[in-house]
Amino acid sequence: MSVVHRPSDETLAAFAGGQLDEGLAVVVACHVAADRRSRERVHELEAVQGALLDRVEPVPMTAGPPDPEHRTPAGPHDPAGLPTEPEMPAVLRPYGLGPWRPIGIRIAMRRVDVPRAEARVFMLRAGPGIALPHHKHTGFEWTTILSGAYEHEYGRYAAGDFDEADAEHVHTPRVDPVEGCTCIVAMTGGVQLQGWLGRLLQPLVRF
Amino acid sequence: MVPALALNVDGMRKARAMVQRGRSVVLFDPNRLIAAIARSGDRQAFAELFDHFAPRVKGLLMRGGASAELAEEVAQEALLAVWRKAALFDPTKASASTWIATIARNLRIDIARRETRSRLSQVYEILDEEDPERPDDVLSGAEREARVRAAMNHLSPDQYRVVELAFLEGFSHQDVAKRLAIPLGTVKSRLRLALSHLRGRLEDLR
Repeated sequence: MSVVHRPSDETLAAFAGGQLDEGLAVVVACHVAADRRSRERVHELEAVQGALLDRVEPVPMTAGPPDPEHRTPAGPHDPAGLPTEPEMPAVLRPYGLGPWRPIGIRIAMRRVDVPRAEARVFMLRAGPGIALPHHKHTGFEWTTILSGAYEHEYGRYAAGDFDEADAEHVHTPRVDPVEGCTCIVAMTGGVQLQGWLGRLLQPLVRF
Repeated sequence: MVPALALNVDGMRKARAMVQRGRSVVLFDPNRLIAAIARSGDRQAFAELFDHFAPRVKGLLMRGGASAELAEEVAQEALLAVWRKAALFDPTKASASTWIATIARNLRIDIARRETRSRLSQVYEILDEEDPERPDDVLSGAEREARVRAAMNHLSPDQYRVVELAFLEGFSHQDVAKRLAIPLGTVKSRLRLALSHLRGRLEDLR
C-alpha cells in the first residue's frame, strides 16, 4: 500500500492530543492504522506531550497514592460492535455497524455508530466506474479509502489515503473502473447533494 | 522551590537526585521503577512514581483548563493504570513520560466523556497494539524522544505556547486566540508554523 494523501499536521496533532471529535478521529485512525509514516508522526506528536508533561509545573495531589492491590485489573476490551469482517480495520472493532444498504445501483452504505459524535460516520461501497454524487457541504468531510480507489479534482485516492475536504471543496469523485471503492467517511455540518443519487443519499446522511 | 521548567532539563532519561532518609542519594529512573512494579509489584516503586508523575499529570490537565477535581481523578487513575500495565511498558518504544502522557490522554477522554460512552481510548489502544515492530527502518523510541525534545527547544516562546495550548486545550483556534488575546489569524499561522518547524527539524535530525 503506498499512501500519497495524508492528514494535515494540525489534524494529526489534534488526533494525537485526543482533541478531535470522535467521529472524525475514527476516520483518521483508519488512515493511521494503514500508513506507517502517519503513525510515526503520531508517535512524535505523542512524544511532544511527554515533553510537555516533563516541563509542566506540578500541582500537589489532594490524596496520596491509592492502594493498587485493591483495584481490579483492567478487563479486556468490551467491544459493543458486531463481529468484524476480515477486511474491516481493527480500529472499528469498538463500534456498532449497521447493515449494508443499497442506496442506488452498485452503491451501498452502512452506518458506523459513534455515540454522540458530532460527525456522522458511514462506510460507502461503490462498484467500478461509478460517479459519486456531486456535492457541497458546510462542514468537514474526511474520508479514508479502505480498498479500491477514486479520483477527483485533487488526485487519485487509493487504499490508505486520507481525503481531508472542507467546505470550500466541491467533489465529483469517480470510482476506479476496475477495483471499485470502499471508504469510510466522517461528515460534519450539512451536506447538499445534487442529482438523483444525491436525492437518494440525502436522508441517509442527515442526522 | 525551583520551578519545574528549570528542574526538568532535557534528555530522555531525565534524572533527578532525590535524598532518601537523609543519606542515600538515588536517581529518579522511571524505567527502573516501572520494571520493579512489573517484576514484583513493588509498592515503594509505585509510591515514588506516583509522587513524581501524579502532580505533573494533574498540572498538565489543569493547564489545559480541566477542573482540579477532574485533573486529580485522571492523575489517580493514570497512575493506577501504570501499576496495572507496567508489564506492557516498552522503553524502546517511548519514554516513561510519553507513555504516561498517552495513558492520561486516554483516561481524560474516558472520564470527561463518561456519559457519552466514548470508545475513543479503545481506538488508541488498538492502534498501539497493532503497531508492527520494524526495528530496521523505524527509529527507536529513544531516538525519537531525543529528536522531538531537540526540535521543541528550537520553537520560539510564542510558538511553544501555542503548541502547548493546542495540545492541552484543543485545536479550536477561537479558544486559543481568546486565551492568548491575539487575533484568530495569528493563532492559525503561528500554530501552522510551529508544527511545520517541528516537522522540519525532526526531518533534519532524522
